[in-house]
Amino acid sequence: MTPGKKRLSYSYYPGCSLHASGREYDISTRALFKALNVGLKEVPDWFCCGATPAHNVDELLSLSLCAKNLSLAEEVEGDLAVACAACFSRLKTTQHHLKEDDSKRKQVEVAIDGPAALNKPVKHIMEILAREYGLAKLEESVKKPLLGLKVAPYYGCLLTRPPEVPELDDCEDPSIMEDLLRALGAEPVKWSHRMECCGANFTLSRPGVVLKLSNAILESARIAGADCIMVACPLCHGNLDIRQKEIKEAYGAPDSTLFGNIFGSELHGGSAPDQRDLPIFYVTQLAALAMGVASESLGFESVITDPKPLLRDKQLL
Amino acid sequence: MKNKLMHLSNETMNIGFVKKVEALSGSSVRRCFQCGKCSAGCPMSTFMEHPPNRVVRLLQLGQGQRILAGRSIWYCASCETCTTRCPNKVDLAAIMDALRKLSWDADGPSKESYVQLANRLFIENIRTYGRQYELRLGAAFNMKSGQFLKDLMLGPKLISKGKLKMFHSKNKNIAEIEGIFKRIEEMRKKGEAL
Ligand code: SF4
Ligand code: SF4
Repeated sequence: MTPGKKRLSYSYYPGCSLHASGREYDISTRALFKALNVGLKEVPDWFCCGATPAHNVDELLSLSLCAKNLSLAEEVEGDLAVACAACFSRLKTTQHHLKEDDSKRKQVEVAIDGPAALNKPVKHIMEILAREYGLAKLEESVKKPLLGLKVAPYYGCLLTRPPEVPELDDCEDPSIMEDLLRALGAEPVKWSHRMECCGANFTLSRPGVVLKLSNAILESARIAGADCIMVACPLCHGNLDIRQKEIKEAYGAPDSTLFGNIFGSELHGGSAPDQRDLPIFYVTQLAALAMGVASESLGFESVITDPKPLLRDKQLL
Repeated sequence: MKNKLMHLSNETMNIGFVKKVEALSGSSVRRCFQCGKCSAGCPMSTFMEHPPNRVVRLLQLGQGQRILAGRSIWYCASCETCTTRCPNKVDLAAIMDALRKLSWDADGPSKESYVQLANRLFIENIRTYGRQYELRLGAAFNMKSGQFLKDLMLGPKLISKGKLKMFHSKNKNIAEIEGIFKRIEEMRKKGEAL
């Protein structure tokens, strides 16, 4: 750090998933920021932003929940760092809508009984890493480059869409994940499904949809030669990691019956389908690993598709 | 509805409904010139009987009922691809939100709206606890939708991995959250909000 320059420091909205099914995202984010000497202070008493369900049912409620969280965040200094793609999208969308639409803003301010904090900058942690900490400095901080690791960077839906809201990257051809991976010494693969939907919150109500869409994503990553997939969203992680075994059972190797053989081989160009396990990493897990953070403090024990064999194979453990 | 000729008349065209959709979504439906770009990118269109571009077309023709009678709106994943790609700035994702709200307000839950059941339980959790309680969410959904065994095996695995919390504590500021819900209900009663 250059002398005289203030240490980077952020307020932090983890969101519900990061305290439960996405706990390793939270753990690794904290570990990474600590390793980089960037401050992170959790907003006290934050509550659920409503994610996709709230705006599906009731937009006013969704906007109000986010506006209240933004005003809670005002009590903590520093721009607001968000890791979950869904929370990030909802908080940014709320600021955007309320700035554009005065009558909505007034309704929301009645609902939350106070002013909405529309000017608190909300930033995704990837933005903080790549732009504020900076790619060059990140590269310098690497202690254990992720050499030889082929990663499929997966953006999913909400990080860049709709175009005027997240301001994170180009909405059709983003590159921030690839840039980060290169800075960490890993090799981003080129693949077709980096922005396709995984089925998101259908995981509870229509798991069949999730299996179909997530299968296509995993297939595409395997075809591109990836060893693993990198995500920045706990929902994507859940669908691709937790359901990987089920996906294999549903779309896996053709069974031994006649029809299984005929249709199975036809579908897979005559050869058996590639059934490799693909570990799903959070961006912060890979980054922290490259910064030399001990793997024990990155939450790998909570993951279903075990990443350790791959990491050992690449001599990263 | 399928294969039936569509008769456009004052009886079948419900322009009031379309106006509500436009007000709720803040998006015009008339701008659409049916290029189909929204449907081409929609990951869920194969699950829908009316893909996104047809939803807008039906709205242009005042045929809200035909949309609500089907399952399209309940299969939209809110991925925003349509809104992002529309050359005419039709905010289809917001239109889908508006349609879901209007359908729910008019008819309550239906067998196609399991998703909405999950959504409702999610929101109940916010009101009760302040944050999501994923274990309760899954259990309550399975009870209410009658799918008792679904994902039962996934549960213990996730708990042992520390991914599902067995217990949950309430937010300290739960009264403020209740206040938000109450004030929105009040505004709606008084007609001050949609
Ligand atoms: S992309 Fe826009 S203009 Fe084209 S069909 Fe869809 S809504 Fe209409
Ligand atoms: S937001 Fe809904 S309708 Fe639009 S592309 Fe995504 S799934 Fe399809």
